[in-house]
Amino acid sequence: MKMNAYLKDKIYAIVTTFITIIIIYLMLMAFKVNIEIIIPVLVIFLICNLTILLIDYFRKKKFYSELLYNIEGLDKAYLVLETLENPEFYEGKILYQALYEINKSFLENVNKIDKSKRDFKEYVEMWIHEVKVPLASLILTINNHKNEINPKIKAQIKKLEDYVEQVLYYVRSENAEKDYLIKEINLGSIIKNIGLKNMDDLLDNNIEFIVEKTNALVFSDSKWLEFILGQIVNNSIKYKRNIKNSYIKISIREEKTKVILIIEDNGIGIKETDIKQVFDKSFTGENGRVRSKSTGMGLYIAKNMCERLGHTIKIESSANKYTRVYITFAKNDFYEIAK
Amino acid sequence: MQKILIIEDDELISNELKNLLDSNNYSSIILNDFKNPLNEILDIKPDLILLDINIPYMNGEILLKNLRESSNIPVIMVTSRNSDIDEALSITYGADDYITKPYNPNILLLRIGAVLKRLNNNSDTLIFKDLTINISKGIIKKGNEEIILTKNEMIIFSYLVNHQNRIVTRDELMTSLWNNEEFINDNALTVNISRLRTKLKSIGYDNAIDTRKGMGYILS
Repeated sequence: MKMNAYLKDKIYAIVTTFITIIIIYLMLMAFKVNIEIIIPVLVIFLICNLTILLIDYFRKKKFYSELLYNIEGLDKAYLVLETLENPEFYEGKILYQALYEINKSFLENVNKIDKSKRDFKEYVEMWIHEVKVPLASLILTINNHKNEINPKIKAQIKKLEDYVEQVLYYVRSENAEKDYLIKEINLGSIIKNIGLKNMDDLLDNNIEFIVEKTNALVFSDSKWLEFILGQIVNNSIKYKRNIKNSYIKISIREEKTKVILIIEDNGIGIKETDIKQVFDKSFTGENGRVRSKSTGMGLYIAKNMCERLGHTIKIESSANKYTRVYITFAKNDFYEIAK
Repeated sequence: MQKILIIEDDELISNELKNLLDSNNYSSIILNDFKNPLNEILDIKPDLILLDINIPYMNGEILLKNLRESSNIPVIMVTSRNSDIDEALSITYGADDYITKPYNPNILLLRIGAVLKRLNNNSDTLIFKDLTINISKGIIKKGNEEIILTKNEMIIFSYLVNHQNRIVTRDELMTSLWNNEEFINDNALTVNISRLRTKLKSIGYDNAIDTRKGMGYILS
């Protein structure tokens, strides 16, 4: 709260005071009162009015300055009321009460939305676990009746499974609750699982799955990481070029402070104009439009999860040549010492 | 034959699972009494239990906890909940492995095989007729004769020996190879099998691996 702004606001009171002074002066002059009396009377009047203004200013300044200062300092400005005392002046009391009511209704609303979001998340998770039961029984049935069932069905069910999984991890990654468990894991076993999971797709599409040295230990959540790598490998399969020697190559570079996992393919690549946006939500780009329907969610979720787990993900590509994805895991000295 | 107990409340799944296990040289039993499962389990004395987490009356994890108080029967947890936290919890309660639905049946079989193998500890040598197979060394011995197999050939051969009474599909061999981090393609599998045949022929096992067109291979 600034003095000059306050005085500007009180301009009507100041103007009224000066007009009153002039009127009193003229009246007293008209009654021929001695000038030695007029001046002290006017000075006392002026001091009185000034004092009223100043007292008012300092009472309000204490409350408003604190209010503004605290709002700036808080990362959640709506909590500011908790930091203030109910002021002594009337306007302040009204404001305080109004803020209190607004805050209350706002928090009630937020809680309601929060709860409905939580309920929705719970429902989706539950639904996914339910839907996996018929999926599991379908897969088993197909396996047991290989000769009677069209093998194409298997590929379709794999797709279904992948989409369901994507929803599950989307819900998990969007929520603030901690749904993951960070521990030391071997990248080799994660890559093995990815290979096994996509074996049929890779073989059907004649894509060579090349794995170079992969036994490196990193700190991560194995299920989340498997999902992230799964999205990348899925993309590589989806966007392969029609050439003879398609491949997906997975390798690891170990440096002093970090481990970098590199997934490279020689697929159709990503156009330069698209590459900056591949991690954006719902972005499909030219590949997604031309080649196959794409949700534009896979890489968005992958990036989001990488951030939550503390890994960085980077993508590099040249159209019709290659796509390379780099995932970087920090080596934590603290863990080394703890061991 | 090793006995596997299936604890799973979805009837279709438990029946198909039984089919799968029975056709893979296990004898499998489906648990009926979900109210007092512990008694039935101890009566049956299975070699391994496939335990679903979502079972009626009692959660699978609690059943596992109760079971561990009186028995060390190996347990593979089966669940549709796919998270590290759930997995860690199951392992803490004493599960030997954890697999999530929907699973690839070939992988389920490999995991079951691995758990049983780990417990029986006699994994390294196999016998087929008058051949002694040392898996980790990659050597097949016939009397004084010896042939050396590559890792891929050994994975294929030991899989065939472990499932010698039935036809083994290419898909199963492929899964077993990929499960051992040998990510080879179809052509390479064909090449490996023909090399394996040549090597077996050199010690007098002509036509040991029989091709069943459109189905797979069988040892004879």
